[in-house]
Amino acid sequence: MKINIERGALLKAVSGAQSVVERRNTIPILANVLIEAEGETVSFRATDLDIEVIDRTVAQVERAGATTVSAVMLHDIARKLPDGALVSLTDDSAAGRLTVEAGRANFSLATLPKEDFPIMASSEYSANFPASAPVLRRLFDKSKFAISTEETRYYLNGVYLHVGEAEDDQVLRCVATDGHRLARIDAPLPEGAAGMPGVIVPRKTVGELRKLLEDDDTAVAVSVSETKVRFATPDITLTSKVIDGTFPDYDRVIPTGNSRKLEVDAAEFARAVDRVATVASDSSRAVRMALEEDRLVLSVNAPDVGTAEEELAVAYGDEKLEIGFNAKYLLEIAAQVDRENAVFLFNSSSDPTLMREGGDASAVYVVMPMRV
Amino acid sequence: MPATTHKITDHPPVIRQLDEAAINRIAAGEVVERPASVVKELVENAIDAGATRIDIAYADGGKTLIRVTDNGCGMRPDDLPLALSRHATSKIDGADLLDIRTFGFRGEALPSLGAVGRLTLTSRAGGAEGATITLSGSRTEPVRPAALNTGTVAELRDLFHATPARLKFMRTDRAEAQAITDTVKRLAMAEPFIAFSLCDVSGGGAGRETFRADAETGDLFAATGGRLRRVLGADFIENAVRVEAERDGISLTGHAALPTYSRGSAVQQFLFVNGRPVRDKLLVGALRAAYADFLSRGRHPAAALFITCDPRRVDANVHPAKTEVRFRDPGMVRGLIVSGLRHALAGAGHRASTTVADGMLGAMRPEPVGGAQVYRMNRPGAQSVRDSYAAQAPGVGAGMPPGIAPDGFAEASVPSARIEPPPPAEDGADALPLGAARAQVHENYIIAQTIDGVVIVDQHAAHERLVYERLKRQMAENGVRAQALLVPEIVDLPEGEAERILARAEDLACLGLVVEPFGPGAVAVRETPALLGQADAAGLVRDILDELAGAGESGTLQSRLDAILSRMACHGSVRAGRRMQAEEMNALLREMEATPHSGQCNHGRPTHVELKLKDIERLFGRA
Repeated sequence: MKINIERGALLKAVSGAQSVVERRNTIPILANVLIEAEGETVSFRATDLDIEVIDRTVAQVERAGATTVSAVMLHDIARKLPDGALVSLTDDSAAGRLTVEAGRANFSLATLPKEDFPIMASSEYSANFPASAPVLRRLFDKSKFAISTEETRYYLNGVYLHVGEAEDDQVLRCVATDGHRLARIDAPLPEGAAGMPGVIVPRKTVGELRKLLEDDDTAVAVSVSETKVRFATPDITLTSKVIDGTFPDYDRVIPTGNSRKLEVDAAEFARAVDRVATVASDSSRAVRMALEEDRLVLSVNAPDVGTAEEELAVAYGDEKLEIGFNAKYLLEIAAQVDRENAVFLFNSSSDPTLMREGGDASAVYVVMPMRV
Repeated sequence: MPATTHKITDHPPVIRQLDEAAINRIAAGEVVERPASVVKELVENAIDAGATRIDIAYADGGKTLIRVTDNGCGMRPDDLPLALSRHATSKIDGADLLDIRTFGFRGEALPSLGAVGRLTLTSRAGGAEGATITLSGSRTEPVRPAALNTGTVAELRDLFHATPARLKFMRTDRAEAQAITDTVKRLAMAEPFIAFSLCDVSGGGAGRETFRADAETGDLFAATGGRLRRVLGADFIENAVRVEAERDGISLTGHAALPTYSRGSAVQQFLFVNGRPVRDKLLVGALRAAYADFLSRGRHPAAALFITCDPRRVDANVHPAKTEVRFRDPGMVRGLIVSGLRHALAGAGHRASTTVADGMLGAMRPEPVGGAQVYRMNRPGAQSVRDSYAAQAPGVGAGMPPGIAPDGFAEASVPSARIEPPPPAEDGADALPLGAARAQVHENYIIAQTIDGVVIVDQHAAHERLVYERLKRQMAENGVRAQALLVPEIVDLPEGEAERILARAEDLACLGLVVEPFGPGAVAVRETPALLGQADAAGLVRDILDELAGAGESGTLQSRLDAILSRMACHGSVRAGRRMQAEEMNALLREMEATPHSGQCNHGRPTHVELKLKDIERLFGRA
């Protein structure tokens, strides 16, 4: 194999692949990226056995072929080469070395045979549909903060992507929860998605997927099967196993009868919560919200540190209410609001509270209060 | 090879009454396990007889002879044959088996001993003639007159001669002798006003005295203290705090060692209920729980604790050997021990055990070079004197300590010690227990001067403990915050288990864990402590249950919370390597004096060591 490639293209392609690679591996070849040159394209493939990323780019292929080399090493070299440099990669399979040359810099990297590289088995996808990058970005960005990190309930360690029933129509829906709060985000159902099985997309995959979605104009082809999910752009294909488990029946915990409505500017609210939480000493960071007619008082009382209190002008018309929350949870849901006011719907100080953006029911957040 | 069978071989089986000898041998199997149990039975009889002096002699690990001589009330000649028959006792009248105020009450010790050895009783009651009787293999010989002072001599020869199988299971003479010594020591601890002596007469003649404790005087507490010093050594008593607590008529007294005087195994745990030495799971568990916060895993507290209560509230008749007891209200007893010990240890404040300083002095004291360690004066060996001269000699020499480089680098390698000018405001600080800070060395150790010594403080360990104690205090004052769960977590449990945890629901709620019944065989966890973050509720509930089953009480949740506080304390404390001003160092010392449990860090290591001036002088041979 021998190819010539522009440094920028190499860096972009390798960085897309190398982030999947785990830093510490018990199987040496998992630290490597598989380089395949054919026709006019070079593809870089990396995997951690759960996720596989293939990144393709145009290059001048002098001699077709394939080899594997350390992903982190190749990425670091590409990063440190000067912008605009022309890089040539030459594989000497007899010596087990890959030569990387750019100008007067010359590297010779150890390779492992391409036959040993684990290729993820292809799957029969039961649903294929197109989705635009901004839609997918919104679905996952607004829900991923609620993903659980606790390993015993592994089925909560991801985002549940499925077809949901909204008031009038079917929607493409993402739900995540860690048992303390929940996020439910809806998007119009793309054509061809109606029959898709619901899958739990693991946390790491959600992180990797984000890199495919930077560009607004990108069209993403989504394929779903019972065991795998694939997101493909013209350059990158991301295939991931899904979490084998049953996502809990989240509809039960989303309150429908909460009547006490609070409307507040989300950014102002978040800043105030952040300010009063400064004095909360322990990691639970409990913030008390006291509500009365058009007035919200946020307070924290840490006897040994001090107290903090801040008053906000809000729209609230119901009877008085006192309720406590973890400051972190409040900040994270408030951060999801970007266009309109945040609307909170309370029932009592021990029942789940619902939050949405204005009257928009396509993004709903539920958070459990804290006993304070 | 014939397989062991449990079937009755006669056809058809015939049911018959066993003869007296067989009955006694079977009963003996329960009571008499080894020579030490013989000693226990006989000494307890002596104590019950009101003796003030008990002499024990044994030969060949107790296998050939055990003799217990007391000056108690003695027995009349016509009572002797009765004493050797089964279920005969002077200790109870049988009316109320719940009100037992003596060690013995079953009336089976003496006939049992007679069944497994040759037992001779010689006794004289006040105002009566002395007499002797022998019982061997359940055959009683007639009473004969004998001469002796008031009291009783019980002599058991050739233990297990009738049951060779038992004899085969005996350990070595030395091991059996050790067990006898342990038994006598345990009994002696509980009876400070009785003089004990233990003699090994294996070689014949007067024998060799292996243990002796004279009768103590003074009030019960002083006497117990004196006896413990005698039995466990001065180290224990000097590093122990006095424990005294009472609740609802149950009283706890005794001595508990400082956490820094912990042991690698549970050998120095002596528990007594109404004077009876016991090894009870409940009590041992309570002792562990009381120390849980101060000791790392694998370290065991040392303590001698005496529980006294109305005999009706405790059942000693659980096991023939009476090492287990059953309390009417186990939870209360456990609570009493835990809170009593915690309170006593809190009173110890910053004290670290002197054994720490002794260990350090031992490490510093140069060992004599070569030869056996026969006799050592408190003076450095010749080799170490030469070494120390060499180290002090000018120039670069072989004996020079590493770290001091030759000229040229001298400035770069100034040892990191700073000497603080004595702060003028701290007049009189010398008189405080931890003294006045004089210097900080290696940016981690504070050297402080007290009136009669030097204190070395590990600043990180000390401060970490102070922060930890503060965090715990805050948690106790403010309560534990609970985070409600969106979806209650259902934990499936065996039916009884679910009830067991629900019985504790109120206590758990105080710690932020809210559990509710969820049909038979399951509980729903509604809230978890916010401090634990995303806790594994099911795992937590199961861990708590395991502990409830084992000890009847669970500290799991509390200890998980404490572990988090401990981690927070580690991050929030002054690190090693931080330079401290004199004022900061003094402030740390004063806070240590004021804070309970500051003598050891969160892992049970000492936070400071005190060297007495006289110890330092000894190091220099000036004693």
